[in-house]
Amino acid sequence: MNALEVRGLVKHYPGVTALDGVDLAVRPNEVLGLAGENGAGKSTLLKALVGLVTPDAGTIHVRGEQVKLRSVVDAANHGIGMVFQEQSLVPNLTAAENIVLGSEGPAVRRGIYRWDVMRRLAQEQLDKIGSPIDPLARTDSLSFADRQMVEIAKVLRIEERSQHPPVVILDEPTSVLESKEIETLFAQIRRLREFATVIFVSHRLDEVLDVCDRVCVLRGGKSVGEVAAAGAVPRELHRMMIGSTGSDDHYHGSAATTVVEEQPRLSVRGLSGASFHDISFDVAPGEIVGIVGVHGSGREDVCRALFGAEPTTAGEIRMDGTRIDLPSTRAACAAGIGYVPAERKTEGMVGALSVAENMTLAKQQARCAGPFVAPKKQATLVDSWIRRLSIRTPGRDTPIQRLSGGNQQKVILARWLVAGDIRLLLLDHPTRGLDVGVRSEVYRLMRELAATGVATVLLGDSLEEAVGMADRILVMNDGRVATEVPCPTGAKPTPLDLVKEMV
Amino acid sequence: MSTAVAMKPAQRLTGFMPLIALAALVAALTIADPDFLTQRSLIAVARTAAPLIVLAAGATLVVLCGGIDLSIAALASLSTVFLALWLPNLGGLATPAVIAVAAAIGAVQGVAHVLLRIPSFIVTLGGMAILSAVALVVSGAGTVRVVDDSPVHWLDLYLGGYVPMSAATALIVVAVIAVVLRVTPLRSWISATGYSESAARLAGTPVDLVKIGAFCVSGACAGLAAVMLVSRQFSGGPTMADNLLLPAVAAIVVGGTAITGGHGSVWRSLAGALVVTLLRVGLPIVGVPSAYEQILYGAIIVVAVALTLDRSKVSIVK
Repeated sequence: MNALEVRGLVKHYPGVTALDGVDLAVRPNEVLGLAGENGAGKSTLLKALVGLVTPDAGTIHVRGEQVKLRSVVDAANHGIGMVFQEQSLVPNLTAAENIVLGSEGPAVRRGIYRWDVMRRLAQEQLDKIGSPIDPLARTDSLSFADRQMVEIAKVLRIEERSQHPPVVILDEPTSVLESKEIETLFAQIRRLREFATVIFVSHRLDEVLDVCDRVCVLRGGKSVGEVAAAGAVPRELHRMMIGSTGSDDHYHGSAATTVVEEQPRLSVRGLSGASFHDISFDVAPGEIVGIVGVHGSGREDVCRALFGAEPTTAGEIRMDGTRIDLPSTRAACAAGIGYVPAERKTEGMVGALSVAENMTLAKQQARCAGPFVAPKKQATLVDSWIRRLSIRTPGRDTPIQRLSGGNQQKVILARWLVAGDIRLLLLDHPTRGLDVGVRSEVYRLMRELAATGVATVLLGDSLEEAVGMADRILVMNDGRVATEVPCPTGAKPTPLDLVKEMV
Repeated sequence: MSTAVAMKPAQRLTGFMPLIALAALVAALTIADPDFLTQRSLIAVARTAAPLIVLAAGATLVVLCGGIDLSIAALASLSTVFLALWLPNLGGLATPAVIAVAAAIGAVQGVAHVLLRIPSFIVTLGGMAILSAVALVVSGAGTVRVVDDSPVHWLDLYLGGYVPMSAATALIVVAVIAVVLRVTPLRSWISATGYSESAARLAGTPVDLVKIGAFCVSGACAGLAAVMLVSRQFSGGPTMADNLLLPAVAAIVVGGTAITGGHGSVWRSLAGALVVTLLRVGLPIVGVPSAYEQILYGAIIVVAVALTLDRSKVSIVK
C-alpha cells in the first residue's frame, strides 16, 4: 500500500492552471524527489498535500484511504508534515517551545508551561534525528542548519498524533545551506527513511539524485514521468523537465532583428549589490539579452538594480554612452527605462485603478496637457493601445482587476510604450502564468519593439523561453556572470548547454 | 477574480452607506424632535460641522495614501493658540501664517515618516504628544483670549443671510481638493500609493512626494480648522480641538474611505462628517447624556471599519 497517493489533482487559479491532473504515488519509507521548472506546479502540489490549497478536482489517499485535507492541522492528523522553505520557527522562543508549539499536549497543564515535560517531549523528537541541539537554547542563537533540524524535529511530532509513520515534506531545504551542512541534512534524510517517508524538493538536480530513491518530474502541472535515482544523470532529468524545444515560430524567430555593432544602448560595468557582484554586460539597441540562472543566482536583483529599485554598492550604468545614476525608480523612468515585474498582481498593476490609469501610471505626460489630465487625449491614447495589443476589456475605465491575467499583462506592457520614449525594457518573467496564445502575442510585441531599436533584458519564465527569444544569453551563478552565450536564430544553444553553467 | 466579484455588493453598500446613514439620521431626529428641521438648528449643525469637515478632508488624503494622521486635532489646538497670540500683531496676516505653519508641521511629520521609514501611526502619535505639550507651553497652559477678532470675523458671517461662512469655506475646501484630484494625475498617484505602494513605486510614481504632500495638506487643513474654532470662540486654547480627533477619524471611516488606503474620497468624508455631527447634535435631542458621546465614536469607528475593510488585501491584521 502506498503511504500517500495523489490521483488526477487539478487546481485552477484565475488565468492559470497550476495543477492539470497530477498523479503521484509515494511508497512507505522511500525518499521521493520532486523535480520541475518554476511554474511546473511543485509548490501548489505540496500545498495541497498539507491542506493549504484545496484542489478543484482529484483525490488524495493516505495509506489507501481517501482524505480531504482542509488545514495544516488536518494534514498533521493524517501524518503529513512539511518543512517550509521559509523557516516557520519563532526566533525568540527556545527550541523546545518551538517543537511543541501548537500541539503542547502534556507540556501545558492548567495553562501553565511545564518545562521539564516540554523539554522531554522536545528531546524525544531531537533524539529521533540524533541531533545534539540543546532544547532550551533560544532559536535565534542557533545556526540556520540547526534551526532546520529543529524544524524537522517539530514536524516529527505528527508521528505521535497520527499513530502512523509520518510523511515529511522538505521544500527546497538546501537552498541556503553550506555543502557540509547539506551532507548533515542528507544523513538526516537517510535516517528519517528508517521510520518515515520523505518527499524532497530541490532545484539542484544532482542533490535530488543523490538523496532520493526515485524522482518524479512535473511539467505544466502534469506528472510527465519518473526515474529511479540510481544510475540516472541530471541531464536526463532536465530533458524531462523542459520537454521538447518549442518550434522557432512560437518565438517569432524570423522577426528577430540583426544587431548592428554600434554604441551599446545599455552598458553595465562592475555593478555590485547585496546579492550580485561585479556584473558587466552590454545590450545593443534592438537586442534582446536573456539572463538565466537558478533561484538565488541574483538575476532578479540585477534587473531591479537597473530600474533603481535595488541599491548598488559599486559599478556604473551607461545609457547610450551617458553615465546615469539611478537613485529611484522615477529616475529610471525618466531615463527611458521600463520594468515589468514578475509579480503582476502585487507589483505590476494597481488592481483598483482602471485600465486607463494603469496604462498611463508611469507616463502621465502622455495623457496630460500641462498639469491637467486631458480626458480626450487619454481616451484616444488608451483606446489605440487597447486596439493595437488587442486587450480584451469592457472599456478603458474598467478596473484592471476584472481583466484576465494575459490582458492585465498587456496593459502593464503598454504602460511603458504609451509615451514612445522607451529605450530599455526590463522584463522579469513577462509571461508568467499566461496561456500559450497570449505568450505568443507578448513575444511578437517584444520582436516589434526590438525592431524599433528598444533594447530588452529578459528574465525568461523558462529556459526554453529565454533561448527562444534572446539574441544573447548571460548565465548567472551565485551573483556573478558565469558565462555569455551567443544565441542567434538558427544557431540556438540547447537549454541543456546552459544548465551546465547554471549549477 | 473571485475577490473582485465578491467585493461588488460590499462596495456598493459602502458607496451608499454614508448617504443612507445621513438620511436615516435626519429622519430619526425629525421624528424625535419636529423642531429639528428648522433653519436655526440646521445652521447650528452646519457651523458645528465646519471645522470637523475641514479636519477630516485633510486627513482623508493621508488615509488614501495608506497612512493615518493622528496629530490633526493636537495640531489644530496648537494652531488656535498661535492664532490667538499672533492676531494682535499680525492682524489679517495671522490666518495665512497659521495655516502655513500648520502645513509645515504636517510636512515635517510626512518627511519623518518617509525618510526615517517609521509607520505614520507612530510618527503622528508622537507628533500629537509633542504638539499638545508645545501648545501648553506656548499658551502658559491657559486660554488665550482674542480681544479684537475682526480679522477672523468673516467666518462668523452668513452667506446670503443663511449659509454660515465657515460651512461654505469647508465646502470650498472639499470641492477644491476633490477637483484638483480629479483633473490631475494626483488621483492615480494617491490611489496607487495607498492601494499598492510597491506597484506604484515600480511604475515610477513619486510615492514619497505624494505622501509628504498629503501630510502637508492635512496639516494645512488642521490650521484652517483652528481659524474656524477661534472665530467662534473668540479665544485659542491648548486643548480646544483635542476632542475632534475621534470624530474626524470616525467621519473618514463612516464615509467609507478604506483605512487600508487606495479607495475613498473627500466627498465621502464630507458625508461622514455630517453624519458624525448629526449624531453629536442629536444625542441630547433623544435624551442621551453627552458623556456617552465618546462611546458612540469608538463604536462607530470599529463598526464602520469592520463593514468596509477589504480583508482580501490584508492577510494579517495587526
